[in-house]
Amino acid sequence: MSSGAPAGEELRAELERLAREVLPGGRRALERLLPVFARAVGGGGAVYLRSEHGLRREIEAGPGTFPEHIEESPASSLAFDGGILAWSPPRDPSTLTSEATALALAVAAAAREVQLALHIRRQDFEVKTRGVQLEALYDVGLAIASTLDFERLCEEILMRAVSLLDARRGALYLARGEALGLERAFGGDAAPLLELGDSEVQALLEGEPTPNCCALPGAFHLLGVPILLEGEAKGVLVVGDKESRRGVGPFRPEDRRTLELLANQAAIALENVDLHRQALEKERLEREVELASQIQRQILPERAPELAGYELVGWNRPARHIGGDYYDFFRVAGGHETDGRIALVVGDVSGKGVPAALLVATLHSALRLLSEREPLSAAMIERLNRHILEWSSANKFITLFIAELDPASGELEFVNAGHNPALLLRADGSVEQLGATGLPLGLLPAARFGVERSRLACGDLLCLYSDGITEAASPEGEELGTAQLGELLAARSGLALPELVEAIDRAVVDLAAGRAQGDDQTLLLLRRRA
Amino acid sequence: MTETLKLTIDRRDGVAVIYTEGYINNQGGEEIARAAYGLLDEGYKQLLLNLTGTKIINSIGISILIEIIEKMLEIEGKLAFCALTPTIEKTFHIMGLAQYAAIFADETTAVSGLRSDP
Repeated sequence: MSSGAPAGEELRAELERLAREVLPGGRRALERLLPVFARAVGGGGAVYLRSEHGLRREIEAGPGTFPEHIEESPASSLAFDGGILAWSPPRDPSTLTSEATALALAVAAAAREVQLALHIRRQDFEVKTRGVQLEALYDVGLAIASTLDFERLCEEILMRAVSLLDARRGALYLARGEALGLERAFGGDAAPLLELGDSEVQALLEGEPTPNCCALPGAFHLLGVPILLEGEAKGVLVVGDKESRRGVGPFRPEDRRTLELLANQAAIALENVDLHRQALEKERLEREVELASQIQRQILPERAPELAGYELVGWNRPARHIGGDYYDFFRVAGGHETDGRIALVVGDVSGKGVPAALLVATLHSALRLLSEREPLSAAMIERLNRHILEWSSANKFITLFIAELDPASGELEFVNAGHNPALLLRADGSVEQLGATGLPLGLLPAARFGVERSRLACGDLLCLYSDGITEAASPEGEELGTAQLGELLAARSGLALPELVEAIDRAVVDLAAGRAQGDDQTLLLLRRRA
Repeated sequence: MTETLKLTIDRRDGVAVIYTEGYINNQGGEEIARAAYGLLDEGYKQLLLNLTGTKIINSIGISILIEIIEKMLEIEGKLAFCALTPTIEKTFHIMGLAQYAAIFADETTAVSGLRSDP
């Protein structure tokens, strides 16, 4: 104990202890004195104590009817500080015997003690209730840092609101587009949607009486506040029917402030959870994209096959993690990688991302399976077209250049299904274009494709590419173009193929001048050395 | 979650356990008081309130619990609580209930605590 004056907290505790000790003694005194007084007046008696709701009966004795609550003192009563002593049958106080008067004063003295003790306890209870409210606000604040579970947070917010305001019911609404959707209700039904512009909702938020409001149908007294974040309504927190020992009633003005404080804390906590949810979703998508990217990298060939008398190289750089470009080279039916027929493929699936990657995988597996069974033909590509059409979603298509090379003779058979023309750089520096022989795959079920032929002589270079190369553009919009690609090939024809790929890449990067790559870029180069 | 309070009572060797499920508000508190005073009339002087199924309480419910505690003190009986949520336990400490009624983590500890301290 400190030697000076007691601090507020100590004084409050001392008063509370005193009240707790005095109250049973005062009540026992009343229980003993009141029946004696009742006998002295020849009837019954009752002590009423004053509360915020009027006069409440604390104790009664003897015959007679004494209502639980009264508004005003009856004529047959003696007033004291904090209450009255009433009796029956009705008699003017001045006509009481001296014994009855003395007893009445004793009853009043005991009742004053009880009233004082109850008053101290009520004050103490209110101070402690305020303490619970402050703790709750603090706890919801803590939840900002600790609760990232959306469902749990919503329950916590609503439970706290209902219990702190002694409400019987409550509901939490959160923004869903233009309206507010019901997230949680407690103690009864609530409307599934609220319109912020609705006049009833506006009245609720402005503190006007809104009995039976759609937010809590059947509730007589409602209190609602917006959950605001940077001035924007992210939701509404509403409670209904404030409880007391006598039933339910309206909320007090200070309740609005408490609910607003809770709503402020809730706004930050909900935003925090939402940001965390978005981050998790982004992380999940990135994992999916990375996985799809890995799968696609596995589809593309690791290295070009050795081909006697030829140089062969393939190169691809997707614009995003997963691209829609595809290239491949593989042994065809009856061929051998070193001396048999080789298929050379470059394709471009419309779109990018996971859907494009799935279609690339479909193309890859179908093409490999078909090529194992039959050589390149119009019928084979038509079957491939129908397969792509069947397994791709609407508006998806593939442009494809596929060629089969007989390494021994240099004979080349090819189908160009709507793809950019392949460039054939002859040893003399001239450039031929191997243009389309049919529509892109996956557009029409009855599409027809032509198979055309060419021949690679010694020193000739075949260049297959995707439009990401020729449509690479400068900041002013000037594209590289097919003709310029041909000129570049001719100008650098002396380079080995890997260096030639680097030269084309450098030209494309230089042209873009720092602009982000807009499309996937693919190159497949084949040169006949002998 | 149950919102209207439901009560179950288990009488065992001088200790009566009242299990609550739902909101301890005015109605819920009155139900607990009725059950507690009924058990006192039956002669039980040691009561345990197991709040496993209660996640929410308001000040009216607390004031009724205080009345029950006072009644128990008056007849020199004992009331204890167990299985409180952290929020309710903190509230009981702030409101002073923990000064006059013991709080236990679980029912087994509570029952043996009540029996060992007659």
